[in-house]
Amino acid sequence: MARLTIPAPELMHSGHAACPGCAPALAMRLLLKALGPSTIVSVPACCWTVIATPYPTTALGVPMLDNPIEATGASISGLRAAADALGLSDVRIVGFAGDGGTSDIGLQSLSGMLERRTDAIYVMYDNEAYMNTGVQRSGSSPKGAWTTTTPVGERSHGKAEPKKDILGIVLAHRPTYAATLNPSFPEDFVRKAERARDLRGPRFLHVFAPCPPGWKYSSEQTIAIGRLATDTGVFPLYEVEEGTCRITRTMNALKPVAEYLRAQGRFAHLNDTDIAEVQAEVQRSWDRLRALARSAERPWPPTLSPPTPA
Amino acid sequence: MTRLVLSGNSAQSYAARLARVQVVAAYPITPQTSIVEKLADFVADGELPAQYVKVESEHSALQVCVSAAALGARTYTATSSQGLLLMHELLHWASGLRAPIVMGVVNRAVAPPWNIGADHTDTIAQRDTGWVQFYAESNQEVLDTVLQAYRLAEDLAVRLPVMVNEDAFYLSHTVEPVDVPDPATVDAFLPPRTPRAVLELGVGARVGSFTGPDHYVEFRRQVARGLESVLPTLTEIEVDYARRTGRDHGGPLPTYRVDDADAVLVTMGTMTTTARKVVDELRTQGRKVGLAKLRVFRPFPAEAVRALGATADRIGVVDRSYTFAGLGAAATEVRSALYGRTGAPTVASFLAGVGGRDVTPQIVHRMFDALLSEPGTGPAWMDLEAEREVTVRG
Amino acid sequence: MIEVRFHGRGGQGAVVASELLAHAAFRDGKFPQSFPFFGVERRGAPVTAYARIDDRPVDVRTSVTAPDIVVVLDAGLLRRVPVTAGLRAGGLLLVNSPRRPEELAGLGPFRIAAVDAARIALRHGLGSVTLPIVNTAVLGAFARVSGVVSLDAVRAAIESFSPARQVENAAAASDGYTDVVTAEVGPIPELGPASPRTVPLVLPEDPVASRSSETLPTADWRSLTPVIDLGRCTRCNFCWKFCPDNAIEFDAAGWPVLRGEFCKGCGICAAECPPRAIAMRAEA
Repeated sequence: MARLTIPAPELMHSGHAACPGCAPALAMRLLLKALGPSTIVSVPACCWTVIATPYPTTALGVPMLDNPIEATGASISGLRAAADALGLSDVRIVGFAGDGGTSDIGLQSLSGMLERRTDAIYVMYDNEAYMNTGVQRSGSSPKGAWTTTTPVGERSHGKAEPKKDILGIVLAHRPTYAATLNPSFPEDFVRKAERARDLRGPRFLHVFAPCPPGWKYSSEQTIAIGRLATDTGVFPLYEVEEGTCRITRTMNALKPVAEYLRAQGRFAHLNDTDIAEVQAEVQRSWDRLRALARSAERPWPPTLSPPTPA
Repeated sequence: MTRLVLSGNSAQSYAARLARVQVVAAYPITPQTSIVEKLADFVADGELPAQYVKVESEHSALQVCVSAAALGARTYTATSSQGLLLMHELLHWASGLRAPIVMGVVNRAVAPPWNIGADHTDTIAQRDTGWVQFYAESNQEVLDTVLQAYRLAEDLAVRLPVMVNEDAFYLSHTVEPVDVPDPATVDAFLPPRTPRAVLELGVGARVGSFTGPDHYVEFRRQVARGLESVLPTLTEIEVDYARRTGRDHGGPLPTYRVDDADAVLVTMGTMTTTARKVVDELRTQGRKVGLAKLRVFRPFPAEAVRALGATADRIGVVDRSYTFAGLGAAATEVRSALYGRTGAPTVASFLAGVGGRDVTPQIVHRMFDALLSEPGTGPAWMDLEAEREVTVRG
Repeated sequence: MIEVRFHGRGGQGAVVASELLAHAAFRDGKFPQSFPFFGVERRGAPVTAYARIDDRPVDVRTSVTAPDIVVVLDAGLLRRVPVTAGLRAGGLLLVNSPRRPEELAGLGPFRIAAVDAARIALRHGLGSVTLPIVNTAVLGAFARVSGVVSLDAVRAAIESFSPARQVENAAAASDGYTDVVTAEVGPIPELGPASPRTVPLVLPEDPVASRSSETLPTADWRSLTPVIDLGRCTRCNFCWKFCPDNAIEFDAAGWPVLRGEFCKGCGICAAECPPRAIAMRAEA
């Protein structure tokens, strides 16, 4: 048997209620492999509220706390405070929230948690819309995407606005560690989650999370679409530690974004001009990221002083 | 025991320190702020070894307490008015998760217009959230009630969050002598929390969960059972507290000179002190009046109200809030408790002291006068601007 | 009043079917009511929807617990979901199945009808092999065997209200109408009283859930099953690594083994298998 490239123990149970081909389910599985059993997960209203299965069952082999949609940052601050007060030293406190619960309604609470430098890992699994309620646009939906609130019609061409740069917002808080993760690259995923596990202070993991029903593709394509997202530069893999940016999947040339967009029904209405626009924007972002990674400059906003050690 | 001159807010802070709270969530709002400031000093000076979490909103303040309590910690936070309204969603989470949080609330009016005066609208608006609600009359009662609140909240039959409410400025910023018990006395009265149904490291259990109609109602019933245990448990707690400190605040509805009273006024919070003095005055004139203080509003002490109704012919209920719902909130409860009783007294609803307006002895006299003559069905607004002579500046 | 309960799996269109039935009945001059049971709406997960049809306004707003007709959009549900719960003896059970209705006679003392709606749907390009959208073909069959609505009304409802592919869906309804077969088995009992329904009584103490979700098999969610050809397998572990359902384990020699009770049939393992050793097959 080939050597396993990621840890064998499973802390996510089968029998969960995720849709077939659900990347957020795979993301939880990989995350818990990296973090291990001494973990507490706080989950707001999101797909995982349902995935975790109804009372009296649970899909996690670690304790899980439900919290309201906008309060994940505060919840993990409370868990860390209690862990410290009760002398539970070796415990990983994790918030596991969707993109709406993080970059829209939960942004204040996330900012608070980062600013007060809570010793916890905040994971945003990004399926790029409110999927648990049935595919409504979020601030994290990409420009052009069909959702039920950005339909395609005579006067609407999918989402008109670009995706919110959540990692940019997070980096402005100077976290100990921030990274992009993609379950299509499990080894990179697990390595970053382990790195986050071993650091202290606020850590943020931005997880790419393709959604078959929401993105309108067939469930077996989840891994392939995730891979395309990274290889086209739509979702590059990198990490920022101590202010230093490192790209963890280097690519000499990007694949055309058309390959990524054409694989998904939510972009079916985009014409060649639209796609060329996306291509240009992706190239600009990728060039910026590469420049940042090459330079010794920290990605903090330049007017800010470097972070004081936590 | 030490006797100190303390504000109501400091009484909250001292009580939280004596309760050895482990997690404090702090966010400022007038007139609550000095509670969490004092606690910050206690923590900074090493007098309270608690985790002091500086949050970015009241919503997060209560979430911090909910999550910390879900891991087994003893928690405290304090708020007022708009801050409490922002917490509304989390109030339900706290009771639903059976989190024994104790929260100080400084009762303040709700905007608009902005007003920081004493008013119970903020807490009355949270009456349906499954929290126990105490309304304090004095700073001593504030301190004693916070300590009793932890015993009550953490009692395994109760396991529910408790608000200890005090009137803005009339208590929050009023200083008066307060007996502060020794730590050893409090430790004997209030042992460390014995958590139940909380997150346990290494155990795959989900706290909160979701459910369809098949289990949800059972969970609501359990919260209701917890509330049903409050008043009997409070009785035991008060007996024990009195034994250790010599102070007894008289249960959920302490009464004053009601035994032969024809007319009884039911008050909440600081107006009670003024009303008690008026009762004495009227008694010297031979008028049979009495007073009952609604110290616990949730769970509503319906049995005690019925006992009161068995002797009094007329009950007037004073609400320091208006809930846009016919009668005042407390008056509605009192009338409901007495419904269908043979010989039930007339229940009149008075609104007084809203938005920080003084409830003066004159106003209390007018309420008793109305009650003893021709009580309307109400509500009677006792102190509308149009009915008063006021000094207009400029 | 006729009460109908639909059982399907998320994505097959059970809720839409019950709505289209309401529109069709309305066109026939009836008073319809249709509503879904809101539970876990996940693609592949069991879903339930209800419809009532009467000659006068429907005067009840509860779940349908004693249906006259049960419609099953996915024969896989027959194994675990109690689809016939409460169905009156002599009531109609319409199943999307390639089998003869006689083969389904063991389900109870019902009039049993079967239609191969998946085949019809795929013929009209509705849905995918893993998840054919069978609701309209089943509705056509429903019109025939229930007599509650006309095929014309069903087709008209589809043409006006079907969320997509109206022409193909209307054609599928016609095919369903033509193809459906009713069992000619024995005497159908008279319409009897509702069969008793049992509900497990659980009085939970706290909202703390500690039973593993592995007590909830999800085998019913899948249409296709991965079949591993060990002759081609290199034991590279990709199938295990990428499985969102943790439904692959290894035997002592390191060969991958499907945990069939939990596989939802997403097909990721087959798509990602480097030596193409996994094929997605319909279960026998």
